[in-house]
Amino acid sequence: MILEGRAISPGRAEGEVLLIEEDFSFLGGVDPASGELRVGPGGNVRGRVLAFPRGKGSTVGSYTIFDLASRGLGPAAVINSSAETIVTTGAVISGIPLVDKVDISVLRSGDLAAVDGDAGTVELRGVGLREVVTGVVQRGTEVLIMRRSDEVSYFPGMWGGVSGRIEEGESPKQAAIRELEEETGLDAALLREGEPFLVRGGDTIWRVHPLLFSAEGEPRINWEHSEHRWIPPSALPEDSVPRLDEVLRRLGL
Amino acid sequence: MELTAAEQRMLDGEEGEGVRKAMELVVALGRIYGAQDLVPISSAHISGVSYKTIGDGGISYLEHVSKESKVRVPSTLNPSGMDSQRWREMGVEEGFARKQLHIIELYARMGVDTTCSCTPYLAGNLPRQGEHVAWAESSALSMVNSMVGARTNREGGPGALAAAIAGRTANYGLHLDENRAPTVIIDADIDGSLFQHSLLGQAVGSAIGNGIPYFRGIRPDWEEAKIMAAAMAASGAVAMFHVEGATPEAADQDLSGLETMHIGEAELTEAQDSLTGTEDIELIAFGCPHLSEREVREMAAFLEGKEKRSDVTVWFCTSRQVRDSMPREVAILERFGPVLADTCMVVTPVEGLFERSASDSAKACNYLPTLCSQKVRCDSFEKLMEVLL
Repeated sequence: MILEGRAISPGRAEGEVLLIEEDFSFLGGVDPASGELRVGPGGNVRGRVLAFPRGKGSTVGSYTIFDLASRGLGPAAVINSSAETIVTTGAVISGIPLVDKVDISVLRSGDLAAVDGDAGTVELRGVGLREVVTGVVQRGTEVLIMRRSDEVSYFPGMWGGVSGRIEEGESPKQAAIRELEEETGLDAALLREGEPFLVRGGDTIWRVHPLLFSAEGEPRINWEHSEHRWIPPSALPEDSVPRLDEVLRRLGL
Repeated sequence: MELTAAEQRMLDGEEGEGVRKAMELVVALGRIYGAQDLVPISSAHISGVSYKTIGDGGISYLEHVSKESKVRVPSTLNPSGMDSQRWREMGVEEGFARKQLHIIELYARMGVDTTCSCTPYLAGNLPRQGEHVAWAESSALSMVNSMVGARTNREGGPGALAAAIAGRTANYGLHLDENRAPTVIIDADIDGSLFQHSLLGQAVGSAIGNGIPYFRGIRPDWEEAKIMAAAMAASGAVAMFHVEGATPEAADQDLSGLETMHIGEAELTEAQDSLTGTEDIELIAFGCPHLSEREVREMAAFLEGKEKRSDVTVWFCTSRQVRDSMPREVAILERFGPVLADTCMVVTPVEGLFERSASDSAKACNYLPTLCSQKVRCDSFEKLMEVLL
């Protein structure tokens, strides 16, 4: 799949992703003699697509990148959540493509990524994209959560909202209403849609479209769920599906 | 970002590799900050000169750039790691000196004026009001934004060099009217001495971070403004200030709704205490930012006929222009300690020579502990002279 970001430093390159989950400084963060990481997951930056949230630390870090690159030890490309001056400067003067405004939480070390610093995109080879909806039903001050049955393929036994794939030609709203009918039988009215976001699982990235509905009465659950509850949005169970809290947040709950 | 046809050709490499790479950096930095276009600049001031700060990585970068690039606007350099002539006397090692001189030579090849000073505006690089420039060196860029009304962001070393080569910089931040408005009013109650301006800058920078202060109650001259600007940029990230009735853009500002902060004796004492970790000192360093002609003249007048009665070392840091233009005054100061040009106490390897130092500059006292491993005393010229005389 292709992740859309923002072009910062031009050029194209590909390589294996090396993901550092914290803000990162090349000065101190990499052994300049070998290219070995001194922080985060370890490993060597040479030829890798280095992904981290944001650069930090001394401005000398720009020269460190140039020094590594001029000795063939530099990363092939850089992906940031939010680019800043020091790493950007280092990447540009070293001819290393840099793309930012990418949700790096969906990257995994070892992914094969092609970074296009002119178009501002990152293509993840061997990773597929699925568009899905998560509908949340509100009744008064409570929301509906349902426990996924043992029959479903993803996240059996965990608590979730109304969810399912968006079929070819469907809008997120149409998909959510269809799923709502199938999974709950409720006659619900759409209140609002939240900004979609990405979730990684195995070789798949889900783009989750959050939608909020209001409804009265009790759901009539089908084989996909084993039980349901009405809870305050602040009281999500521990064993909820990944990022259900993010769905609620994006719906303003 | 919208580029002119000429800029697009530069970015496409029609004016050579050096220009293409410089444009790539200018454009990339502009993208990060949401610039819509570029603006032509009339001058640049470039940091990243001391071998102590840029290291071997910096040298290999400059070697590369200097092969294919020339600056296209007047450009000056920030202080280097040593006095280019008197480094042996300073105790700088041969290996460091060789690399330092090489760095300066690389800048010279690109057409940069190698006067190494943090006060380029006192040494021939003075923009006019309304001009866009690309300046690094936090104190100098704050001075030209504020006292002159020229326009620059806080450029980094390679960014300022790229802008000098491209002749333009990205149009965002302090290049735009709407970002030059004050964010807080400072009601300053100080005695007007140089040292109190230094502490005022320290207190304000710590309190407001990267805000833009609007001062009432002071009328700083250039010397007072530069030590205050330097302090605000070191304790905070202040890149511009207004002074009521004094700075060129102060009268145009809308002050409605701004909070007022009072800075008086208590805040200055607190600022001084926060910077002082020793009474006992081995080095006293003046000239952060570099001493002006007037400061050298006044110090010489004060010291003329006096004798040094202490083994504490004194450095007077200034620009080469000032040192060369005032031989009589320099000779008086030299009886007390070296008058150093091209460098300062922060970017030279002080840590190999001393452990405890003092300055009247709050900026120097911010950086001496971190960059030079010093225990520091921040005090006025008069008090520090009592140690010496």
